[in-house]
Formats: sequence, structure tokens, C-alpha cells
Amino acid sequence: MNANQLANVLSKKNKKLEEKIVLKAQNLNISYGNELAVKDVSIDIPENSITAIIGPSGCGKSTLLRSFNRMNDFILGAGLQGKVLYRGIDLYGKDVDPVEVRRKIGMVFQKPNPFPKSIFDNVAWGPLINGYPKKEIYKLVEKSLQAAALWGEVKDRLKSSAMALSGGQQQRLCIARALAMDPEIILMDEPCSALDPVSTAHIEDLMFELKKDYTLVIVTHNMQQASRVSNFTAFFESGNLVEFGETQNIFTLPKNKRTEDYVSGRFG
Amino acid sequence: MISRNLTNRYVIAKIFHGFCFTVAWSGVLILGILLFHVTQEGIQWLDLQFLSDFPSRFPAKAGIHSALIGTLWLISLTALFSVPIGIGAGLYLEEFTKKNRISQFVDLNISNLAGVPSIVYGMLGLVIFVRWFELNQSVLAGSLTMSLLILPVIIISTREALRAVPNTIRQAAFALGATRWQTVYAHVLPAAFPGILTGIILALSRAIGETAPLIMIGALTYVAFVPDGPMDDFTALPIQIFNWASRPQQQFHELAAAGILVLLFVLLLMNSIAVIIRHRLEKKS
Repeated sequence: MNANQLANVLSKKNKKLEEKIVLKAQNLNISYGNELAVKDVSIDIPENSITAIIGPSGCGKSTLLRSFNRMNDFILGAGLQGKVLYRGIDLYGKDVDPVEVRRKIGMVFQKPNPFPKSIFDNVAWGPLINGYPKKEIYKLVEKSLQAAALWGEVKDRLKSSAMALSGGQQQRLCIARALAMDPEIILMDEPCSALDPVSTAHIEDLMFELKKDYTLVIVTHNMQQASRVSNFTAFFESGNLVEFGETQNIFTLPKNKRTEDYVSGRFG
Repeated sequence: MISRNLTNRYVIAKIFHGFCFTVAWSGVLILGILLFHVTQEGIQWLDLQFLSDFPSRFPAKAGIHSALIGTLWLISLTALFSVPIGIGAGLYLEEFTKKNRISQFVDLNISNLAGVPSIVYGMLGLVIFVRWFELNQSVLAGSLTMSLLILPVIIISTREALRAVPNTIRQAAFALGATRWQTVYAHVLPAAFPGILTGIILALSRAIGETAPLIMIGALTYVAFVPDGPMDDFTALPIQIFNWASRPQQQFHELAAAGILVLLFVLLLMNSIAVIIRHRLEKKS
């Protein structure tokens, strides 16, 4: 398959995907105190795809990501105007419970942050506190660990501490933990930035697999990673969404000069 | 250019090293001298009879039984009152309330309360618990007063232990759709527990040694019985020690020294238990 064919297949697939928008930001402004971190951003995230958010440090991409499952609520002085629509529901509406939001929209963080508990408990805890039947939890843990491509490595030591795992394994455990909640969207905030290239490759393979069942939004500093794994790419600069489109186009035929400079490594 | 000053820098480092060494070991030395002195004076009186006898006018018959049991009563009840309230208050201030003017005001006040002299708490206890609530000089009144005294210490150390728990753990839990209470109960509290425990033990150790507030609320100095319940009169180790030490006879001074040994032993025991529990918990995680 040559590059053209690949592009064709991708764009066909993407056309189909574009019809189903699962997450939508409308004229979103997010501020910390007096500082505007995200400026009037509107973006559509299609279902069963990987959307990469790229841009220089401090451009507001992590802020935007955290606003998608209301993790910004915990930051002192963070304010938000505009709308974030998840299947048409405004996540910041009055009768929306942020706890409910985070059950449907999971998150994987920059640094692996497993609980200082056993591998099993790390995965089981989320579903259990949300009322998952105790009898079936073992099956769910196995399924989630398998989906995160970690089962083979840990199946003999589920009761040992998660802290004894390597960084890459810990990050996959964090992904398994998010998957166990059966979310529809998984947000990943630079999930590979603390990992070595081998572990990074593992996670990227995993993302490809996950795309079939979930919608992924990842923030990344790694341009190659964005071009390798994502279907869509959004380029941010100082809080503005500069360009958003199919990854193929962003990296080969960017419309905006700033985007071109950034993806070709001329700045940032 | 840069390396010319190297010897000089090493000299400075050595001087500072020596200073820190001296400071650290002088504390141990002072404790050693104190222990040696007290042991030399009191060890001859220290036997089972001393532990099981009630106070007496005759040094040979005098024992520390009522004071020891009184102290155990006092410290158990104090822990019962102050630990849940202290941890609860610390949790509320650190995990549940938003940072604003009111919480800052509460913060400031708790820090100030930790510095209030113990005799002031004694007066407060006398007015509120002894007089208003008519608890008289009971062990209950004593332990409530002690609880007031050590509450700020427990609250402050609880908050510090909670603050030391990395935020990433809270975020991980919240991202799984956990409520604040679920997050705190399952992850934050267990992670902070060793630190909280240390604070509690330090606070209770302080309560064990306090004399002034107990004298203020009128705890008795001569008690020939042990309390049967929280409403009974009582005495405590430091009061008994103070009583003996203020008598003119040399033999009573030696009894006081023996009492100090018992008090130190109880303290050491409490601290050791805390260290063991901490160690276990830290190994587990």
C-alpha cells in the first residue's frame, strides 16, 4: 500500500466518522484568574477516532483536555464560558453531575499514577465504587487488563503492588483502570512523555486497538506520535485553535503558515 | 578560576557538618544525662510493689498505682475525644472546604490555639467542664480539658499529612468517577495515615506529661483508689511526681525519680507502638 492509497483509505474512513460527532466544544473560553488559557475554541471530536492536540507548552491544550471531563473543577480560580457538548448534553449545564461525567469520559495522565495498592485493586476500585457487582469483578479486571495489553505480564501477580511495575506497565495499568469503567471517551494527557521508546510503542499500538471501541483524545508534544496514531490533529498556539483537520492534511498540506512552521519543527 | 576556592568551600562544608553534628548529638546527650541521673536516684524503688501500691505517708509503702491507672484512663479518654474530632476537622479543612477568607481565619486560629499555654486550657476546663457541666474533678473533665489542649496539634499534623499525599492520586480517583468522600476514604486517608498517627502520638505524649491543666481543674494529689468510671476522681503520673518532689524528705525525691521512670516508660511504649504500626503500613503500600 503506498502513501496515496493509505490517504485514500483514511479519508474515506474519516468521512464516515465525521458524521458522528461525540464531543463538541463551542466558543469555549477557559481562564485562570485573569489569564485566558483557551480562547474561543470550537472543535468537533468524531467518534471512534484518535484526535491529537498539539502545540507548544502553555498553549492551553492540557487545559482544554481537562475541561472535557471537568477535571478543571479542581483547579482553584479556573473559570469557563461557552459549551462542551457530549452527545448534545452540555457538560457544564446546571443539572449535570461532574462525577457522572467522569464515569463516561475517562482520563489517563501524563505521569503514570497507579494507586499504591495491588494491580487487581487498581482496576477493580473504579467499577466497584460505581456499583459494579462484586461477583463479576474478576472477569472485568481480566477483560480490562487484556484490553490494555497487560494481562499476560501481570496475570500471575495480580495481588502484588502496582508500584512494583515498570513505568510503561504502570501507564498501561492506568489505561486498564480507565477502560474498566467502560467509558465512551478516553482523554490522554501526554501519556507517553514519561516513558521510553519501547513502552511508547506499546501504548501507541494499544491506542490503535482502542480506537475500535472508544474515542480517544490525546495531548502530545511528540509530533511523530501525533502523525503516527491520530486521525485528526488540532494545532493550538497561545490558547487559540490555529488549525484542525485530518492528520494527513495537517502534516502534509497545512493551510496555516504557523502550523506548517510548527509541524516541520521550525519553532516550538 | 573556579577550582581555586575549592579547599575553602570544603572547609566551610566541614565546619557546617561539625555544627550540625554537635547540635544533633547534644540533644541525645542531654537526654542521656537526664536518664542517668533519674535512673540512679529512682531505680532502687522501682519494683512491682511500687506499681501496685497506693500513695502513702511512708515512703517505703508508697506506690504509684492510682496515678498510673489514672493516667491510662485520662489518656484513653483523651484519645477517644480528640482523635476523631481532630482528624475530622483536619480532613474538612484540607479536603472538603474551599480556600477562602473564612477557612483562612479558621487556619490562623488553630495555629494560635496550638501556642496557647496549657494553664489557660486548665482555666477553660475549670469553668466549662468542672463548673458549667458539673463534671467536678472527674477523669472525664480532665480528659475533655486535655482534648482541647491537644486538638490543635492533631488538626495541624493531620493537615500536614494530608497535604503530603500527592495530588495525582486524588486526580486518578476523581477521573474514575469517584466522589470526594470515596477518594478520601479509599486513597487519601490510607496514604496519610502514618503521618496522622505520628501527630496523634506526639499530641498524646504531650497530654501525658501535662500537669498544669490538671492541677487547675483540681485533680487530686492524694488518691487511694483507682477510678471505676469516667465520673470518678483521679490523679495522674505527673501530679503524683510533682507531689512527691515537693516534699522535703529525700526518700520522696527518690520516689519521684522512680515515677519519672514509669512515665518515661509509658511514653516510650506509646512511641514504639506508633513506630511499629507506621513501619507495617509503609511496608504494605
